[in-house]
Amino acid sequence: MGRGRFRASGVRGLECRLVTERPTSPGSPDGLRIRPLGDIDITPISGIDEKIAGRYRPEVWERQIGYYLRRDPEGSVVAELGGEVVGFMLGEVRSGEFGLEEPTGWIEVLGVDPAHRGKAIGRLMAEALLAHFRELGAHSVRTLVDDGAEELCGFFSSLGFKPSTLRPFVKTL
Amino acid sequence: MSTRSTSLPKHLHDAVVRWREAFIPDYDFLLDNWDKHFPNDPRFELCAYRQLGMCTEIECGELKGKPKANRACEMVPEQAHHLLGAIRAQASTEFGSIQQHRLTLARAQDEEEQFWILRMMAEELRHGYQMLHLLAEDDWSSVSKEDSTQMIEEILSMTTGSHLLGAFNIDFDSFVDNVVFCALIDRVGKYQLTMQRQSAYQPMAESMPQMLREEAFHLAAGVVPLRRWVTSAARDEGFFTMDMLQRALNKWMPRGLEMFGDERGGGTNVRLGLKPMKNAEAQRQYREEVEKVVRDLNLRYLRARLPQLSLAEAPKTLDRLVGAPQKSTPETASQGADTSYGSLAGEFNPQAGVRPEDLLRVPDSGFMRRRGVPAFQRVGTAGEVYGDLQAYLHHLAAVLPEAYRSGRDYKDYVDALGKVQRGEMTAEAAAAHMPALRRVGGACPCSKSVRWVIDAAPAIDAPPGQAPGSPAAAGSRDASPAPPAAAGA
Repeated sequence: MGRGRFRASGVRGLECRLVTERPTSPGSPDGLRIRPLGDIDITPISGIDEKIAGRYRPEVWERQIGYYLRRDPEGSVVAELGGEVVGFMLGEVRSGEFGLEEPTGWIEVLGVDPAHRGKAIGRLMAEALLAHFRELGAHSVRTLVDDGAEELCGFFSSLGFKPSTLRPFVKTL
Repeated sequence: MSTRSTSLPKHLHDAVVRWREAFIPDYDFLLDNWDKHFPNDPRFELCAYRQLGMCTEIECGELKGKPKANRACEMVPEQAHHLLGAIRAQASTEFGSIQQHRLTLARAQDEEEQFWILRMMAEELRHGYQMLHLLAEDDWSSVSKEDSTQMIEEILSMTTGSHLLGAFNIDFDSFVDNVVFCALIDRVGKYQLTMQRQSAYQPMAESMPQMLREEAFHLAAGVVPLRRWVTSAARDEGFFTMDMLQRALNKWMPRGLEMFGDERGGGTNVRLGLKPMKNAEAQRQYREEVEKVVRDLNLRYLRARLPQLSLAEAPKTLDRLVGAPQKSTPETASQGADTSYGSLAGEFNPQAGVRPEDLLRVPDSGFMRRRGVPAFQRVGTAGEVYGDLQAYLHHLAAVLPEAYRSGRDYKDYVDALGKVQRGEMTAEAAAAHMPALRRVGGACPCSKSVRWVIDAAPAIDAPPGQAPGSPAAAGSRDASPAPPAAAGA
C-alpha cells in the first residue's frame, strides 16, 4: 500500500486479548494479529503518523481516538506484529448522511508503518473492518481518496471498491 | 450482530430512577447538553442490552463444549453460587463508582473532561442496571435466601464504604481521582467483562459486549485527560503536577491489583466455565497494560518538555532516565518483586531539565497491599521491603496523596498493618478484619442504619451458601464467590 496513511472523510478501543480479536487469514505474517482499537494505541498510532507525515501531533490522535472509542470501539482496528502496533484503520457505520439513509460503513483513516509495508497488513485490517460493518447491517462501505493518491486508489480497487457516482464538492472560504 | 433491549419490572426500574436522582443529580443536564458534547451519538437510554448470536457452548473448564445455561437452575449449585456472587459484586461496583465520581465531578477544570465523566457515570448506571436485570430475570432461590427484589434493594442501599470491593469504598479527593480511577480501575473492569463474555451462563455472556463497548470509552475518559495533563505539567502550565499524578497512581494501583482476587486463586471460576483465566494471569496482563499506559504518559511528558526529541530518540531517553521496562511474571508479581522500570539507575540530566523523579512509575505489585500474596508485607513503591513499621509509614506519607491519608480507609489499613507487625493478627485475618461500612438493620434501601462493622474470623474456604461478598469470603483464595475476583466498574 502506498503512502501508508490517508485521510478519507474525517477522522475508535478495546484490547481484548481473550476473545475479541479477529483471526487473520492464512498466509498472513507470523505473529500478526488484528484487534479492536484501544486507548493504549494513541502513542503508536501517533508514531506511525509521524513516520509517514513527519509531524508529531499527539493531540490530534487523542481527540480522534477518543471519538472512535466513543462511537464504536470495534469499528476500528489495529494490526500488531510481535506485540508492536504496525498499522491502524479507523472507521464506523453511519446512516442519514448525504442522502444515504441505509447503514453505510466508512473507512476514514488508515496507516501502515513504512517499515512493514508489503505484508498485506492493510488488506487484513480492511477484511476485519468490513466483516464488522456487515455484522452491523451495512450493505456497502465507502471512502474518499484523493485523485493523486494512485497507490491508495489501487489498494481500494484491489479490495473491490469501485468509483462512486457520489462526487465530492468543495468551495474555499 | 444484533442486540435486544429490555427493561426491569416497573417497580425496580423506578427504584433505579430514584437512585439516579439521588446520585447523578446532573443527569438531566447531561441529556440537555448531549448533542453539544456527543453530536450524532445515540442518546443514552436506561435499559439492559443482550447481544444475540453468541457462542452457546461452554468455552472453558471441565464442562467445555456442553451447552451454556440459560437459567440458574440449569447450573450445578457450585456454579450458580459463584455466578450469583459475581453478579452482585459487579452490580455493586457499577453503582459504587458513580457514588465516588459524584463527589468531585464538579471540581473538573475542563468542560469536556467533566462531560466525559458524566456520560461515563450514566453508562455505569446502565451497567449496574444490566446486572440487576440478570438478578430480576432469573430465580436464584437455589443459592440465595433472598429473592431478587431483596438483593436489588440491598445493592441499591450500598454506599461508599459498604460496597463489596475495596476500590469502591474509597472517597475521591479531587478530579484527579475521577480520571486516574477511569484509567486504572475501569481497566480492571475491562478485563473482568472480557472474561465474563465467555461465561457459562448465557445471559451473563450476552450482557458483556455492549458493556465492553462502553467501557472502552471510559478508559479513554481517563487516559486522554491524563495525557493532556502530563503535557501541561511538562510545560509548567495547568494545575496538575507529575507528583500529584504519581501519588494518585500509588493510591489506586494496589486496589486495582486486588480486584483480580488472590494471586493463588481463580481456578474454581475457570473449572466452572465462568472465566477463562486464573487471577494471577489476568492480573499480570493488567499490570503489563498499565505499564504501557504509564510509559506512554512519560513519552508524552518527555516530548512536551524536550520538543527537540525525535520519535526514535524519545524512548531511548526515557529508558536512560528510568531504566528499561521489565516484564513482570506471575511469580515476581505474586512475590511483589517486580518493578516496572527496574531500579532508579537512570541519569539526572540538568541540561535537559528532566529528572528521573519527574517521570511516572507503576508502583510495585506488593505496594500497600491488604489482600492477596503480598498483603501487609510493607513493600515500597520500588519493591523495597521495610522491616520497620515507622519507616514504612514515613514512606507511605511521602508517596500517597495527603487527602487520602486523612481518610478512614488509610487509618484502617495502618491499624491493621500495626497488628500484623506486632503479631496480634495474621495477614489473612487482617485482610478480613478491615472494617466496612455496612447496613446493619432493615431492608429498606433508604435505611440510614449504617455502621462501621468488623466481621468475625475469616474463612479460608468459604463453603457454598456463605453470604457472597462477605469480608470473610473476600479473604479466601479460591472458594470466594466473586467479590475479590469478579468485577470492576
